Amino acid sequence: MALWIQILPGSGKPIYAQVAEQISEAIAKGELASGDKLPAVRKLAAELVINPNTVARAYSRLEQAGLVTTKTGSGTYVSDPKLRRSDAADINILTERMDTLITRGLNLGLESEDIIAMFKARIDKFVSKPKAGRGKND
Amino acid sequence: MTEPVLQTEGLTKYYGSVLAVDHLDLAIPRGCICGFVGRNGAGKTTAIKLMLGLLRPTAGSSRLLGCDSAALTPAIRQRIGYVTEGHRLFRWMSIAELEKFQRSFFAKQWDDKFFADMIEYFDLPKKRKIKHLSNGERAQVSLALALAPNPELLIMDDPTLGLDAAIRRQFLEGMIELIMREGRTVLFSSHILGDVERVSDRIVVIDKGVLRANCSLEEFRKAVKKVILSFADSTPAEVDIDGLLHCRRSEKELELILVSTADDHIAEWADKTGAEKYHIVKMNLEDQFIEFTAPANHKRMFRWEEI
Amino acid sequence: MRFLALLRKELRESLPWLLLAAIVLLAIGGFLLRQAQTYGWYDWSARDFSSSSITRTYGLYYRRSPLQLTGPVLLLTSIGLGLVLGVRHFWIPYFTRTWPFLIHRSVSRSTIFWAKLAAAAIGFTASVGLLWLVLYRYACRPGRFPTPPTLSVFTEGWLFVLLGLVVYLGAALTGLSTARWYTTKVFGLAFAGIVICIVIFQCRLAYAFAAIIIGAVILLSQIIDTFAKREF
Repeated sequence: MALWIQILPGSGKPIYAQVAEQISEAIAKGELASGDKLPAVRKLAAELVINPNTVARAYSRLEQAGLVTTKTGSGTYVSDPKLRRSDAADINILTERMDTLITRGLNLGLESEDIIAMFKARIDKFVSKPKAGRGKND
Repeated sequence: MTEPVLQTEGLTKYYGSVLAVDHLDLAIPRGCICGFVGRNGAGKTTAIKLMLGLLRPTAGSSRLLGCDSAALTPAIRQRIGYVTEGHRLFRWMSIAELEKFQRSFFAKQWDDKFFADMIEYFDLPKKRKIKHLSNGERAQVSLALALAPNPELLIMDDPTLGLDAAIRRQFLEGMIELIMREGRTVLFSSHILGDVERVSDRIVVIDKGVLRANCSLEEFRKAVKKVILSFADSTPAEVDIDGLLHCRRSEKELELILVSTADDHIAEWADKTGAEKYHIVKMNLEDQFIEFTAPANHKRMFRWEEI
Repeated sequence: MRFLALLRKELRESLPWLLLAAIVLLAIGGFLLRQAQTYGWYDWSARDFSSSSITRTYGLYYRRSPLQLTGPVLLLTSIGLGLVLGVRHFWIPYFTRTWPFLIHRSVSRSTIFWAKLAAAAIGFTASVGLLWLVLYRYACRPGRFPTPPTLSVFTEGWLFVLLGLVVYLGAALTGLSTARWYTTKVFGLAFAGIVICIVIFQCRLAYAFAAIIIGAVILLSQIIDTFAKREF
């Protein structure tokens, strides 16, 4: 799985965040199903040629977000969506971000139907069954 | 915690009347990859040579693996790998001869298979002489020579200077490979901030011989910030914000480079000075480094007139 | 083991120059001996060593043995080899920037120095020393010369081989010195030059040897001190 994670040093985004985001995106898209095992920290570090501490930090980020759970001595697994906690604060942040996007869309002169259609199209990319391997990149 | 693998105290070196390293106080803990960055002539090579006892300090001292650098014993040197600047090896030796030479200084510590695998991976003929290798190939041999004895502390002086992306990546892979073994530490100087960001978890910044930063990479990334403030009529005469490093003015805008200034404090200050709006700009490591080591009255070399 | 690795490396680096010195001595010395054999270019009248200076014995002024005809060639080759080896061992690493790699060996600095010195001593013995033996054996063959050279002529030739080693030490000290040429950097070579002069104009064999040993010890102590403190 490590092969599709892209590291961009010098992008301004910390490398641990790049790893965490790409894994959480894969989880959202269903490419990593609940119960799937993430690669061992050292293995992923060697494959991506990044510091093992960076991978460990990315994993602990994902764990804080409830996306993965670490079983001592066995590894890190994608957690069950039902067990992921989504408290009010998280929902609030999400609403704020959506507000930003909606504002931008309306400013561009889009109708609310257009925006909804765009949201729908994007969401389909995530929830539709991925084709062989990763499916399309975007 | 255990004793740092590398420690300097007030390490100072003058070349004649030129100050090359100025009271360097460094401590590198075991088990990290430490990127050692600084501009050309900042004193990186001098500092490394002082640590390895190749140069004698004018003042201060340094310790490697608990042993004074000025009197490193053969037993300590055996635990330290050193990749010299420019990968200078004996030109007349073939790769096989050099392997034999290097191996004889490490006894059982030397990993024959590891070396053979690396040379095979690099696709280098063992009988070829060093003088007939390209710069990149010589660097590859130098890397294999440094890694095969499985050093406890690996010090590399700008190992990727002038190398192509593929060979640079091999150096990074080598460092990652080494650091995964128990208790290994790597210190490498570099000009390529992307490489440092990729593999380091620690960064040491030196400028004109003075230590400017010695912290985790994450702390450094968080500490150096650029803030742009816009004002309605004119910028304030006095900029008294905490942690100010550089301040550039245009008519209605103020560009500040700040170190370790909390976001709350920036907001407060923007409020106090009556800024119309302010914006914390995301910087990549290279921009942070350039701003961090820029001289005090730094201006851009080229300026575009506003249209 | 480690010392042997260093020794092997130094010997290998010296090898081209050792071969060159051997070839020069063989070619010119052999040529002179052939000429002496053909035209009788030597004079075997004066034979007492004690009354004349070493230079005379070695044919700079008088020639009393066919082998002595080649004495000056031995002296010059030996000095030349000493100069070249000293530069190769202690100066060239500065230009090729291989000092840091060499110094960071898991041996003490003095081991690195002794390996170089051992390589030079072995090298001198194996090239000019051995060739001197070859020339001696050649001149001793029955039927070559009416009076073959005595063994003492051969053994005294070793004075010049040792002088070559003194020049090597002088070049080493000069090469290691980080001072300027017009100050103390030149000391090593100048001192070796003085030792050469003393030996050449010495009448007694014992004094000549004493001068070489004292000179070598002085240079050696200076080099060991410089090498231990030197920055690379």
